[in-house]
Amino acid sequence: MSDYQKFLPEGIPDSHLPFWDSLREHQARVQRCDDCGTYRYIPKELCPRCHSDRATWTAVSGAGEVYTYTVVRRAPTPAYQADVPYVLAHVTMAEGFRMIARLTGTEPEAVRIGMPVVIGYEDVTPEWTLLAFRPASPAAQPAQTQPAQTQPAQTQPAQTRGEATGS
Amino acid sequence: MGRLADVAVAGVWQTKQGDMSDRTQPSVWWESVRGACADAGLSLGDIDGMVGDGPLEPGLRERMPAPGIAEQLGHPLRFHARSVVGAGSTASGLNLAAYAVSHGLAEVVVIVNAVGGRGAGYTSASRDEAVAAMAKLSGPYEYVFGTTRVSDCAVMAMRHMHDYGTTAEQLAEIAVAQRHGATLHPLSVHGHRGDLTIDEVIGSRLVADPLHLLDCCSINQGGGAIVVTSAASAAALGRHAPVVLLGYGEGHSHIDPNSVEKLTEFPAARLAADTAFGMAGVRRDEIDVAGIGDHFTIGVLMGLEDAGFCGKGEGGAFVSGGGTAIGGRLPTNTSGGFLSFSHAGICGIFTLIEVVEQLRHEAGLRQVADARLGFVSGVGGVQQAFSAAVLGRA
Repeated sequence: MSDYQKFLPEGIPDSHLPFWDSLREHQARVQRCDDCGTYRYIPKELCPRCHSDRATWTAVSGAGEVYTYTVVRRAPTPAYQADVPYVLAHVTMAEGFRMIARLTGTEPEAVRIGMPVVIGYEDVTPEWTLLAFRPASPAAQPAQTQPAQTQPAQTQPAQTRGEATGS
Repeated sequence: MGRLADVAVAGVWQTKQGDMSDRTQPSVWWESVRGACADAGLSLGDIDGMVGDGPLEPGLRERMPAPGIAEQLGHPLRFHARSVVGAGSTASGLNLAAYAVSHGLAEVVVIVNAVGGRGAGYTSASRDEAVAAMAKLSGPYEYVFGTTRVSDCAVMAMRHMHDYGTTAEQLAEIAVAQRHGATLHPLSVHGHRGDLTIDEVIGSRLVADPLHLLDCCSINQGGGAIVVTSAASAAALGRHAPVVLLGYGEGHSHIDPNSVEKLTEFPAARLAADTAFGMAGVRRDEIDVAGIGDHFTIGVLMGLEDAGFCGKGEGGAFVSGGGTAIGGRLPTNTSGGFLSFSHAGICGIFTLIEVVEQLRHEAGLRQVADARLGFVSGVGGVQQAFSAAVLGRA
């Protein structure tokens, strides 16, 4: 039923599903070690700091800052190429771990290492929601804003990118 | 039983590099083996061990390749093992081959890389198909966003520039130096295009900021193989100056790019290099020629830093003024490397073969004067795993 042509997650182990479920609920939750409190992103069996195997899925604040980024001009497939240039950002979250996602809602030229961003969500298919970041401060947005492709946490689901772009 | 250094690379072979879609992958594989044996003065009948992958075959034949090789050789093999350091796996296989020979498990071991035919995925002769297939190597937490292998490394370059003031011109120095080597190598994929200038590199189109097209490796097909035997046997064969493995190390640190503290500094590369140099009893400043996995220019720059040839953040200055060129302070990837020689399959074998040819003093117009000690870094994934080898002219 979906005409979404980009890559969807494949081979996600059952142990990772709470994270993807949290995206669909527009409230990202990641593992936090029950013993030392360290957050980790892509789900893992052990805490790399204390080796505990006990963790709790914990909601994140959604605030972070750009650790590094790139502007993709040659995309992996035609469906992605339709979006170029697009920004991929590695973001250090307030909780101390990093995540990777698109950074939308800003011109590529305006992106800077260190700029504050917040998490958003894109419901790309009925089954899958992806992370996205957008600038935290309105001042960082360009005067001529693009159509909103992300919504802040704890709001109703965003219009999907697929619907918004007709791709 | 003896030491790694009692074992030598006795033969090497590289096939034509480029579009090999008119050949089958197994034919490229066997040409590589036959060529490396002939280069050593050995025959196919002498092979009694192998490291790494065999010809592409369905099912168990691919996962367990040695029996199928033995079947065609007409005699059993005594040893097979795999080293797993991504694209560096062939160069890192030298360690396993040296282990087998030095411990009496085999006498003649081959390591092969072959890409050809109309294979799908990242070995395809189609650039678009290869780019799409390689993009998915990162896994679903990255590829859903439209990452590519270029973008995976571009973020490292972006942060390196931010932290250390590294410039696009400095990265371009690496591409320029390597292209010159490729113009002097008859098998190189891009040498026929002639020398590059720094302006041409930074004037080529951006693929993923700050990396330009000419900061990126080739995508092509081709094959290569090496034959390893005892240093005494290699010397007795008398075809070439034996090249021995003096020291070896590995480092495996993370698979999730979010899990490494910095994307500009890779402790696993340092670990691999420290182990190899320690085993060899060789100092960095004694190395005459280097091969550093160079899928992108930034990989060479960070590889030189992380292997300890200069301090962290000093890579830009190190490569400036032709620092990695033939005749420079550390000639690196003198064949042209993945950027300009060949990037096909488990391409670390090409990095290794060039250093072997340099230490044999058989590199022709690319020859680094009186090269006696070489360093090879194999890179797996995007700076996720490393091998390091110190090689010497026996």
